Amino acid sequence: MAVIGAFCVSVNKEICLNARMPGKCATCAEVCPHGVYALDSFTGEMQVVNFNTCVGCRICAEFCPTNAIRINPAEPEYVTRYPWTLAAIEEVHYKAQTGEYLLRGFGTTGQTPNFDMITVVPNQISSAAPLDKYREACDLEVVIGEDTCEKPIVLKAPFVWAAMSFGALSKEAKMALAIGAAQAGIATNTGEGGLVPEESWLARGYTDADRTRKRWQPGGYLIIQWSTGRWGVSVDYLNSGDAVEVKIGQGAKPGMGGHLLGAKVTEDVSRVRGVPVGSDALSPCRYYDVQTLDDMKHMVAFLRDVTNYQYPILFKLGPSRPYADVAACIEAGADAISIDGLVGGTGCSPDIVTQGVGIPTIACIPPAVQALKDYGVHRKVKLIALGGIRNGLDAFKAMALGADAAGFGSAAEIAMGCRVCYACQKGNCPYGITSQKPELRARLDPIEAGHRLANFIHACTEEVKILTMLSGHDSIKDLSPEDLRAMDLNTAALTGLKLCGYERPLPMWEALQAGNGKGNGKG
Amino acid sequence: MKTIDAKSKDLKTVNALLRERVNGVPLKVKNAAHLSGLAAGLKHGEIVIQGDAGDYLGVLNAGATIRVEKNAAKYAADNMTAGTVIIEGNADYGVAQYCYGGTVVVKGNAGDFTATMNKGATVIVAGDVGDEVGTYMLKGDLVVVGNAGKNFANYLIRGNVYIGGQWQSLGNNTKIEPLTEEDRAKLKAYFETYGIEADVAKFRKIVAASTKPFYH
Repeated sequence: MAVIGAFCVSVNKEICLNARMPGKCATCAEVCPHGVYALDSFTGEMQVVNFNTCVGCRICAEFCPTNAIRINPAEPEYVTRYPWTLAAIEEVHYKAQTGEYLLRGFGTTGQTPNFDMITVVPNQISSAAPLDKYREACDLEVVIGEDTCEKPIVLKAPFVWAAMSFGALSKEAKMALAIGAAQAGIATNTGEGGLVPEESWLARGYTDADRTRKRWQPGGYLIIQWSTGRWGVSVDYLNSGDAVEVKIGQGAKPGMGGHLLGAKVTEDVSRVRGVPVGSDALSPCRYYDVQTLDDMKHMVAFLRDVTNYQYPILFKLGPSRPYADVAACIEAGADAISIDGLVGGTGCSPDIVTQGVGIPTIACIPPAVQALKDYGVHRKVKLIALGGIRNGLDAFKAMALGADAAGFGSAAEIAMGCRVCYACQKGNCPYGITSQKPELRARLDPIEAGHRLANFIHACTEEVKILTMLSGHDSIKDLSPEDLRAMDLNTAALTGLKLCGYERPLPMWEALQAGNGKGNGKG
Repeated sequence: MKTIDAKSKDLKTVNALLRERVNGVPLKVKNAAHLSGLAAGLKHGEIVIQGDAGDYLGVLNAGATIRVEKNAAKYAADNMTAGTVIIEGNADYGVAQYCYGGTVVVKGNAGDFTATMNKGATVIVAGDVGDEVGTYMLKGDLVVVGNAGKNFANYLIRGNVYIGGQWQSLGNNTKIEPLTEEDRAKLKAYFETYGIEADVAKFRKIVAASTKPFYH
């Protein structure tokens, strides 16, 4: 992110510590990832030198010891000057001056088709009565690999943490995700950066490598990611967890591999990945050791073999051609498939790819579900929806569209304290979540952050339970598109949901559904 | 040496037999060319493949010595971390990709994308290699006695690439350095150990020009 020009930065000089005692405080300049503030080295005075670079993350306001900073949205330039907003102009200038394109963290910004134009349909008198969330039970479990491996995963709630690597995240953040997963009974994921050894016992709820003391109940799971860079991968790595996930792509940058810039390749990261310290770790966009779908089937076969047929095999897809891609994963032998939509986040990506490549999450799910149905494996091969899922409401909508579970990536980082400054790639995260610097990492307590993550899952679980039961169901397995309505034509067209008021799917979807949905999303 | 006949057997059965019987006893496997992933993830032992081997032979090898008497198909010794894989004949596309350690020796020729993303293994090819060999190599030694195709050692980051013959084109981020006495002694030892006839004096050494070559 270079120039945004969307926020006014105000410092109340009456209470600002620096204004009263120049040189005494430079907290805002230290924590701002975008150079909004600068300390005058002669006078010691703090100045707002570039408010146009403010992204509105408000990290400065949070860290300010005297609460002197206010960040307010500026006038809606997006409306008055579009398409030549200040951001667009400054991006051209930046490229002209440097010859470089923009890189940033997190996912797609701005308005894209999303879950907000879908509403949940409660049950009243004409349908089965709603169930009582407070006094009746609701089945929220999700089992992955039930009939295909010796040790299936049993998620206590229909959630996983999306894959985020060690390198992109600090060791403390990885440990926090594992602790949060253990407390919530869900699964965390190594991502593609190798294993932080602590993850393998923390995720199960143990506090020590010997697994003698279980502190966090009920205990969760660790998904081991197998990816195109193959960072830190060995047969022991594959057997360190409870499942293996074959990463094909991700929502933030489908068609590209992982980016870990040299600034974050420290000695610890270098040791795990085998990349020289300071050198960029740019994963290949594809598997060098897979050229055909048959190769992928063989890969799944040997992954099952080296893990002794104990663990489920998952696939992770970016948002491309959901029907055909999910069909290919089924043929390759997947036990579960995560599909990551357009808004899915990342630690680093070219801005244009994050912003302009991929299919919105709500449009990925219906074709993916149709592929599962056409192969007769819907609800057997589990579908996990990723990409901009913020809460139990989004997750419920994804599951009513046909997913079995939902994943949190960006929301998990936010639950740990992140304020979305879009600068994860720089390695200066003031919360220690995406930094490898010891002084910043020290700010993140894995146990406290793990507890926040578990709290977040507990709250979202209750939200899913509310929505499931007011829709008249006592199990998330019974959710269906009938529990939802689209509130505008676009959303009805993208999802095939019934349109509010019209109470039917749009005619083109009715024609598809009359033909058993065959062809939905094909080609 | 005990022999396992893999004819009509599936991967699960044959690999289970290997794991069960490999304890201290060299094993021979015959009729195994239909299996992809044979001898996957072994931590010790000695296996001889009679005839040809299929795809992903010795994938994730973590300490075993595996010898193929004839040719290996695609992706042999994929993602190996320790041990030795010796292929007496030719290796198809992508032998010794993603390896962190161990030694891979191909007595014949090797295909395109050999030793891609090598992160610490020693990979020796006594014959010629195809295109894009040694792409994005991060550590280890790659030795090609014969000739190389296009884009040889493309985006080399670290490690040493030695070649006795010619290349069609050299990849990005490479530079040629003179061999040191240490390099010559190392190559001589490799050739003696694995019975390869080669003249060390003809070899050139390619190293990375920079550890940060990417426009990102």
